[in-house]
Amino acid sequence: MYIYLPIAEISMHIGIIIGLGGGVGFLSGLFGVGGGFLMTPLLIFFGIPPAVAVATEANQIVASSVSGVLAHMRRGNVDFKMGGILLLGGVIGSSLGVVLFTTLREMGQIDLVIKLSYVVFLGIIGFLMLLESVRTILHTRRPGGRKTKLHQHNWLHGLPLKMRFRRSKLYISALLPLAIGAFVGVLAAIMGVGGGFIMVPAMIYLLGMPTSVVVGTSLFQIIFVTANVTFLQSVQTQTVDFMLAGLLLFGAVIGAQFGTRASALLRGEQLRGLLALMVLAVCIKLGFDLALRPDDLFSVELLK
Amino acid sequence: MIRARQFILSFILLLGMTSLAAANSGRLVADLSKSNIAITSGFHGTDLLLFGAVDGAVGDDILVVISGPPTDIAQRRKANRAGIWINVETNIWQKAPSLYTILATSPINKIASPETLASLAIGTNNIGLEIAAKTPVAGQSKPTAIEFIAALQANMASIDLWPDQNGNVTLTENALFRAEVKLPPNILSGTYNVRVLQFRNGVAISEDITNLYIKKGGLSAGIYNFAHNYSALYGIFAILFAVAAGWLAAVAFRRK
Repeated sequence: MYIYLPIAEISMHIGIIIGLGGGVGFLSGLFGVGGGFLMTPLLIFFGIPPAVAVATEANQIVASSVSGVLAHMRRGNVDFKMGGILLLGGVIGSSLGVVLFTTLREMGQIDLVIKLSYVVFLGIIGFLMLLESVRTILHTRRPGGRKTKLHQHNWLHGLPLKMRFRRSKLYISALLPLAIGAFVGVLAAIMGVGGGFIMVPAMIYLLGMPTSVVVGTSLFQIIFVTANVTFLQSVQTQTVDFMLAGLLLFGAVIGAQFGTRASALLRGEQLRGLLALMVLAVCIKLGFDLALRPDDLFSVELLK
Repeated sequence: MIRARQFILSFILLLGMTSLAAANSGRLVADLSKSNIAITSGFHGTDLLLFGAVDGAVGDDILVVISGPPTDIAQRRKANRAGIWINVETNIWQKAPSLYTILATSPINKIASPETLASLAIGTNNIGLEIAAKTPVAGQSKPTAIEFIAALQANMASIDLWPDQNGNVTLTENALFRAEVKLPPNILSGTYNVRVLQFRNGVAISEDITNLYIKKGGLSAGIYNFAHNYSALYGIFAILFAVAAGWLAAVAFRRK
């Protein structure tokens, strides 16, 4: 059965939409990631206009982050103070991102920038994750791994506006999370992702937050950043397809449940290694798209 | 069953036409099986029947041109810059038909000469399309339609909006004609022009024009209008919906 998506203005098989939601939902449940970085390129691949894919995916991530954060809140794994600062930066960054997105779209370069951002950021993150998981797998085989400090001190800790974050056991400048939040916010708006895959490593390695609160806090701030993107895209470009988001969501909710169950079958470092490979696969695919000569050098867009 | 109904319709029309022909010089009458089409949530393109009657002779041809609501079309050209393929040039085609389909009883080049078709403005080469650079650069040569139209035709054909395979028109007893018209799912809403011409020995001898109206309808139109007319409210609604759905999912699947 085909369904006509009112904002994307294309007709798509309902099974494909729910299947996409389910598949990406399964992987996000399995790996504990949002899945935006998979969903947005897939939607574009299936013919959804990039602008609609990015804005609609932001809308869907609001829902998946809400359901994810509730579980973390029950376990007390959300640092609201840190999350508040991050989301403040995130709201500023994502607002800038939406403006940048609109400008690039008018220039006809949005596809390029979306793909380039994916290649660069997925490439870096995927590579680092793969390295880390391989190292962990090797280490667990040899007993007595290297001990590290809770976190290293560097020049970043000398910035002004110091604040105490009790949950995260940190006393650092508020400027740091604000900047990280803003940077990830820009990316979230342009790439149609929640940004967890950059936020989580940034929180661990740059801020030095304890891993227990990282995911919950990241999800908490993603809700607000993606809600902001949803709102601004609705107002500015009218590219949020409510029907598409709803159907994706339906599939994703079910898929995520199976994913979470399946994740119990694998060890943490194995999961991270697999996720790294998947991230790199998306990166390489998009990299080839940019580097190989397209079949047709011309493309058209109907300006309604 | 449908065929029979269509035949009867055509027959009635023929009767009406003969009296019409007696009254005035019109020798061709055409109509569509439906002239109002709604793009609803279940829309996946549509088929309709074009039919009519003509005062014809042996060897006559019928040619139908369906032209969609005009729209500006951005055409982009990619080139390799520093190892990656990026859009380097954007030109805008002004008020180009969003759909352009020709249906005929014979291959179009057998019906009339290129000059005749040009004078009748039939074919996307002959409708006076104009192109302009999106951001004109001083000193740079202006783009010309001749230079870029083949690429536009290829791109539009690949998305089924300007199909280069012409559809068929069947002419029965030199009096009744019919054609199945397939409209793709990605058509725009608006007024479509359906022009039907009768050719004899390479010359157009009669013509009729009818319209087709395509509108968004049902839930699909509701969401579209909501998004465009009350965009802030739409955004808030989309967020609230997502929050509610996420919360529901968390509650429904909460593990004991």
